[in-house]
Amino acid sequence: MEHFSLKRSTAADRGTSNLSSKVYVRSTKSGKVQKIVRELYLRQDIPCSSTLCRACLEIAPKDYTDKAAPFVLSDTPAGSKNFPNGQYLVPDTNAFLTGMDLFEVETAFHDVIVLQTVLEEVKNRSLPLYHRLIALTKNEGKRFYVFFNEFRQETYVVREAKETINDRNDRAVRQAVQWYNHHITAAIKARSKTQTRVPSVVMITDDRDNLRKAKAESIPAITLSDFVAGLENADELLDMISAAQDQREVRSKKAQVFYPEHYTVSKMMTGVKAGTMHQGIFNVSPYNYLEGSVHVPSFDKSLLVLGRENGNRAVSGDVVVVEVLPQDQWKAPSTKIIEEETLNKNDNPEFEDGENISSERERKALQEEVKRAHGQSSEGRPQPTARVVGIIKRNWRQYVGHIDRDSVRSTSKSSRTQQMVFLVPMDKRVPKIRIRTRQAGELLGQRVLATIDSWERDSRYPIGHFVRSLGELESKGAETEALLLEWDVQYKPFPKTVLDCLPAEGHDWTVPASIDDPGWQGRRDLRDLIVCSIDPPGCVDIDDALHARKLPNGNFEVGVHIADVSHFVKPNNAMDKEASQRGTTVYLVDKRIDMLPMLLGTDLCSLKPYVERFAFSVLWEITVDADIVSSQFTKSVIRSREAFSYEQAQMRIDDDSQQDDLTNGMRTLLMLSKKLKQKRYDAGALNLASPEVKVQTESETSDPVDVQTKKLLDTNSLVEEFMLLANISVAAKNYEAFPQTALLRRHAAPPKTNFEELSNQLKVKKGLELRSDSSKAVADSLDKCTDPDEPFFNTLVRIMATRCMMSAEYFCAGTQAYPEFRHYGLASEIYTHFTSPIRRYADLEAHRQLAAAIDYEALDASLQSKSKLEGVCKNINVRHRNAQMAGRASIEYYVGQALKGKDMNEDGFVMKIFSNGFVVFVPRFGIESLIRLRDLATPEPEAEFDAENYTLKIKGDVQRNVELFEKVTVRITDEVEESTGKRKVKLTLV
Amino acid sequence: MAPSQSAHVNLSPAELSFLRSTLSQTPPIRLDHTKGPKDFRSMVAEYDVLPSTNGSARIALEDGTEALVGVKAEVEKSQLRPGAGAGAGAEEGKMLSVATGEVEMRDGEEDGSRGKGRNSWIDMSVEIPGFRDDDALPVFLASMLTESLLASGELKDRLYINSRFHWKLGIDILLLSPPLSYPLALLSMTTHLALLTAHLPALKSEKDEDPLFDDDWDAAVPLYPKSSGNSTSPADKPPVIILAMAVGPNIIFDPCKEELAVADAILAIACANSTSSSTGARIVSIRTIDPPSHLTPPAVPNAMNSATGGTAPASTADALTQRELLATSGVWTPPRGGMKRSLISQITKMVVGKGGVAEEVISALQAIEVG
Repeated sequence: MEHFSLKRSTAADRGTSNLSSKVYVRSTKSGKVQKIVRELYLRQDIPCSSTLCRACLEIAPKDYTDKAAPFVLSDTPAGSKNFPNGQYLVPDTNAFLTGMDLFEVETAFHDVIVLQTVLEEVKNRSLPLYHRLIALTKNEGKRFYVFFNEFRQETYVVREAKETINDRNDRAVRQAVQWYNHHITAAIKARSKTQTRVPSVVMITDDRDNLRKAKAESIPAITLSDFVAGLENADELLDMISAAQDQREVRSKKAQVFYPEHYTVSKMMTGVKAGTMHQGIFNVSPYNYLEGSVHVPSFDKSLLVLGRENGNRAVSGDVVVVEVLPQDQWKAPSTKIIEEETLNKNDNPEFEDGENISSERERKALQEEVKRAHGQSSEGRPQPTARVVGIIKRNWRQYVGHIDRDSVRSTSKSSRTQQMVFLVPMDKRVPKIRIRTRQAGELLGQRVLATIDSWERDSRYPIGHFVRSLGELESKGAETEALLLEWDVQYKPFPKTVLDCLPAEGHDWTVPASIDDPGWQGRRDLRDLIVCSIDPPGCVDIDDALHARKLPNGNFEVGVHIADVSHFVKPNNAMDKEASQRGTTVYLVDKRIDMLPMLLGTDLCSLKPYVERFAFSVLWEITVDADIVSSQFTKSVIRSREAFSYEQAQMRIDDDSQQDDLTNGMRTLLMLSKKLKQKRYDAGALNLASPEVKVQTESETSDPVDVQTKKLLDTNSLVEEFMLLANISVAAKNYEAFPQTALLRRHAAPPKTNFEELSNQLKVKKGLELRSDSSKAVADSLDKCTDPDEPFFNTLVRIMATRCMMSAEYFCAGTQAYPEFRHYGLASEIYTHFTSPIRRYADLEAHRQLAAAIDYEALDASLQSKSKLEGVCKNINVRHRNAQMAGRASIEYYVGQALKGKDMNEDGFVMKIFSNGFVVFVPRFGIESLIRLRDLATPEPEAEFDAENYTLKIKGDVQRNVELFEKVTVRITDEVEESTGKRKVKLTLV
Repeated sequence: MAPSQSAHVNLSPAELSFLRSTLSQTPPIRLDHTKGPKDFRSMVAEYDVLPSTNGSARIALEDGTEALVGVKAEVEKSQLRPGAGAGAGAEEGKMLSVATGEVEMRDGEEDGSRGKGRNSWIDMSVEIPGFRDDDALPVFLASMLTESLLASGELKDRLYINSRFHWKLGIDILLLSPPLSYPLALLSMTTHLALLTAHLPALKSEKDEDPLFDDDWDAAVPLYPKSSGNSTSPADKPPVIILAMAVGPNIIFDPCKEELAVADAILAIACANSTSSSTGARIVSIRTIDPPSHLTPPAVPNAMNSATGGTAPASTADALTQRELLATSGVWTPPRGGMKRSLISQITKMVVGKGGVAEEVISALQAIEVG
């Protein structure tokens, strides 16, 4: 009987055909399990991409412009000791996983073939490493080529029965290497009969089994460390190999285990879904490195995680799963300052025999905390405590730090012996990292960049490897780079692809002369308006300009004109992508890391005086009482008449002899701004002080000379008020046009619990009340918190109140209900950022949305997708915070440098009291510093800590009572710490 | 049991009578004279024809009928059964406490799945060209096939993963050709082959956690595991439905449409391999099927036919008496009455005994898989 079979081709004839299939099981997050069958078509024209090979060039597939992709691998690849004729490298997955830093080094590792098998395995094992690998392949100078061996017929490998997936992949790699070797040899032969220099294609792998099989099949193969040993500057490079793999082999002898095991993923997921376990981000308290907290949605307050054992190898920033401990083990948050440096100074990085994970000192420190647990106030009452049972996602990054001097055995610079040293990260919340290095002597006294590789159960500290050195400790270059790295600020110069997006005319670009030019379409000609700008002194990127004039009906026309950045930065081009990643301009004391190239920021977009510029204008009709009658939004062209600094503007306004239109316009603005401000305060806006200081530097060397607090002038608030008004108006318009996708900014009301501690402190110490039911209540009670004897007290309370606030964040309108749009601090129903597109990406997006709302141009697809916008918001929130922290860190550094060698007495206020010390805030310099009991006298004086009345009675020689909010005189000096070589500001009580 | 309309044969009474007499002879001469009473029609079978299913099979018989079966398995959340298992209530209470957070395990997990399966976990759909989903034939075929699968209870127990999750098995049966004969046996054999070769992804998670499965399809476990070597308990196999019919003193297996038309009685016997010994089989379910012969009109003998010179009966009573006398004369009359008990026991012995029909069919189907 004639039979027609439904079955696909069997394995038998797969070898010859170019059709293959693979079957696997996919489990989705929702629990569905699917059998997936993928068919594979194999081809024979995937090129080897070596410039030596002519055959591949002829058959290489061409794109629609009839051009083949250019070949990447050099025809004269570098050689090394083991392969003098030159080599193409084919790294195996483990080589990439352990040595990614090595591959990124500029001076070595070129002409690398990345096999598709290896790329996919790296992707499955570590997504961050995968992204770094992809970036390497795009880097033209490194000449990394991705070869799709799974699609090429000659290198396709079918899994045999009983062969594991790993073995199959190893075999695929070996097959590819072998094919490449034959192919290159054939290519050379075809090229020239006499050529003898045949580069070898070398497999790099640390898998012993793979190496053995490769040797058996006479495929050139070598381990990563052996290969690196054959290169120049091998010592530095060897250090960069991840320590994780070596450690495992050494450790296997030792049975000692310090930490409990982590639960399996399925167990944790089940627990989280069932509600018996909770997932959240692990945060470490900067004052107490043994205390961590995890915020989970089911509890109001964060769960505490106390002690190393309960922390179970979680590092600050990781996503962890915790399990709540039984109620009798709940503890109170600590009132003691515990620093890792001081407590574990004498730890030996080499071995840890006979040590329990909690040293005696640590345990005693924690024990004293339990006593507090029975106190009456909320301070002492135990809170839900938990322990970490597993890590969902590690958020390790590269950490800046320095090598702990005490941990270095031989400090000689020439010593090349490998030793284990401790790296102390700059971020106090990250534990010490154990690093194996050969350059210990050289690295002492330097700022160093390192990364964590792993933290196993049998190791008290995480282990990592060294990446590179940033320079001498405390040198400006090293410190600046260090803080930029710590806060993940992208500071490398703009790549060529970004600069290609700039207008071709460069600095010669001008507003088109003729009104019929397409550049004028949709723009109003506002060049006759008397516009001026008021900015900090020395500002070159002028975002905003204002004007005001009287209307015939007695009202005023006020206009805020913002630089039209969206005209120059179109969505989704390289410059836009780079700006989106950077998120914001970062301002350091002496440097500015721009979000957009300088050509735009300081010239073409900047609303410089005396030239015509494109702008996006918001025009209002406002009555004398500062009520808004109407508002309009339009793209425009303006010509700013003057660019003032705050002081200059103030002087001009105050100078009665000046009566021209410009000055009168400024006076109008000032009058209106005062009324607007009053309205805002009546509505409950908060006026919170931040201790902003300005560092005065010598002009030549930019060495700090003096530090002063910034003074607030009337003109500061003039600009501020109109910027706020513009932001609010634009927010309303954008929300009306795009109710689901408008990019807005909100400030959530702080939960009552945040204010508990502060209001308790005020009640107990000063008998003052801090009401927190609404922002108006907060504003009013803050106004009443004054001390007639001490004018600064009010500012101090405001500073402390600021710390109780939630942070404001960008969000996408569709993700929250309308009441949640509120900006608590500004007491506004709806708010966005619109007025600084040169230095903030959020503003640029708001510009694009407003342009679409007024039908100037169509909205790009990326701004219509809620999910894409949510991603953008998440990124800019992080970047905004990091920029703030980086700016503060830069000021701290400069203040520290300004105080170098000085010895002066200044007033300070006590801000926080611990059982073994207190924090003093010095308003002149805006610094706050810890004074420990042991710094006051030796031996460390006894002290009685009263948590409920916030006092510390110090006995011994000092005999002094220290109270919260007390004004004290402190002596400011700087000292160099012995063990670390770091310079610290030291305060002592006078 | 409702009659199958498709098996409505267009044979004249004379042909029906002829068939019956040949089939009642000793030895019976079947329509296909090369076949004996216990011979089955030859078939071509293949499995794993549908790559995206967990198991699939296709069988084509020599008369052109063809069936295709696909088996798909999906993870589903189990409904909590009140009072299921000893101490389940107490265990659930413990799970709510925050103290230990440990998930309670059941004791004796190995045979803990016994009795935990539920009938709703198997979902069958039968599609026959020319029939709607709610027509009688597809509905009854589906229920007969499902019943035989669920009767022994082992299959649904195998679908149990843990107390919160189970596999939902979806069996889709397609008859690819118009139903020329009663398709029950064909569909059943195809389903048997599909289930025999079906695989479930290997479970990686433990006990009561959310199930996590091995990515590797080659690690998938068969739905019906092969015996692990000790022949004390031979491997479990899915059941197979065998059609048997009785005509006069003879019993005929695997009847074709015409043979069914003259049957006195039809039995559909679902058998699975025996658990106690490696030979023989056990009966899982038996159903009688109303023979289509009951619907055929009786022939009119020449004596009663006025067209051929007879006299038509005057009244119904007259007609009935005359028919009684014709019962053995060779003129076709639809058979009356049910099945004798001895007949049923005879059939079952032939099916279930050592070397019986069931064993032949099951081993033949298994040989396809192994081969």
